[in-house]
Amino acid sequence: MKVSELAEKTGLDSLNEYKDKEVEGVYISDMVSDIITGAKANGILVTLQTHKSLIAAANLVDVAAVVFVRGKKPAEDVVELATKAGIGLFVTDVDTWSFAMKLNKVGIK
Amino acid sequence: MSTCNHQWSMVNIRSGYLVVEGCHRCKARSSFFSTEPVPPVDDYQDGEHFWTYLGSSQAVKFDLACNDCGELVSLDDMMGLMLSTCRDPSCEVARIAEREGKGTWVYVALCADSTHASGKCVSERGIKALTEYFNGNIKDPDKRIIVVPCIKCESIDTCQGVVIADTGLTEIY
Repeated sequence: MKVSELAEKTGLDSLNEYKDKEVEGVYISDMVSDIITGAKANGILVTLQTHKSLIAAANLVDVAAVVFVRGKKPAEDVVELATKAGIGLFVTDVDTWSFAMKLNKVGIK
Repeated sequence: MSTCNHQWSMVNIRSGYLVVEGCHRCKARSSFFSTEPVPPVDDYQDGEHFWTYLGSSQAVKFDLACNDCGELVSLDDMMGLMLSTCRDPSCEVARIAEREGKGTWVYVALCADSTHASGKCVSERGIKALTEYFNGNIKDPDKRIIVVPCIKCESIDTCQGVVIADTGLTEIY
């Protein structure tokens, strides 16, 4: 499933232009130092964190897209960096658990 | 010299705190990794330095091991990674990014001593393994990672970049 298809199926709001990659997994973390040890290439990262260092970590491990839960929105410079890296940024109003359930429902495990 | 086409994995992953100290006499900065439940904040004298606690952030340390030949590369000398956004033409790191162009991302491996007074930084072996590890896991054909030691920065105190660290995560405002 492509990122765009996943966004549509789970009702995500897009914040930028991105490379529409094939999603290969999911990782949930609010610690950027944890992301580089746990997240995988072409994965979706679900987080509460909106700091720029999150994008530096996501880019290093080639994450396809980041989903900010509970309506959190990053600053403009964070969006700019993600766009340059081709990482899709999305927002959902629901909490992490509820979004994880949505991912499971559409077959992302 | 090894002929193995290394397939690196992260090993010895441990969580703790990256503690940064400064010497108020010579303005040097030093950092170390602590696995204590609460990071140490005491001031102390060590030779000519008077170290004062400047701050800490939650961090993760790891080493790299080859799945094929078993070679282990210790990254004890690396305190963190920073995505370089430096544009200073006098800085070698900025020149590398400029030369490599679009699609190449330069990450600076930060060592413990900002002054590099001893001439030491993150080991060449560590830098090579880190570069191979991160590129080996990338699936985007248009993306490439270059890891460089912080000794290549014109000045690590003024070099522009985004440090991968959880600064402030455990603070309550």
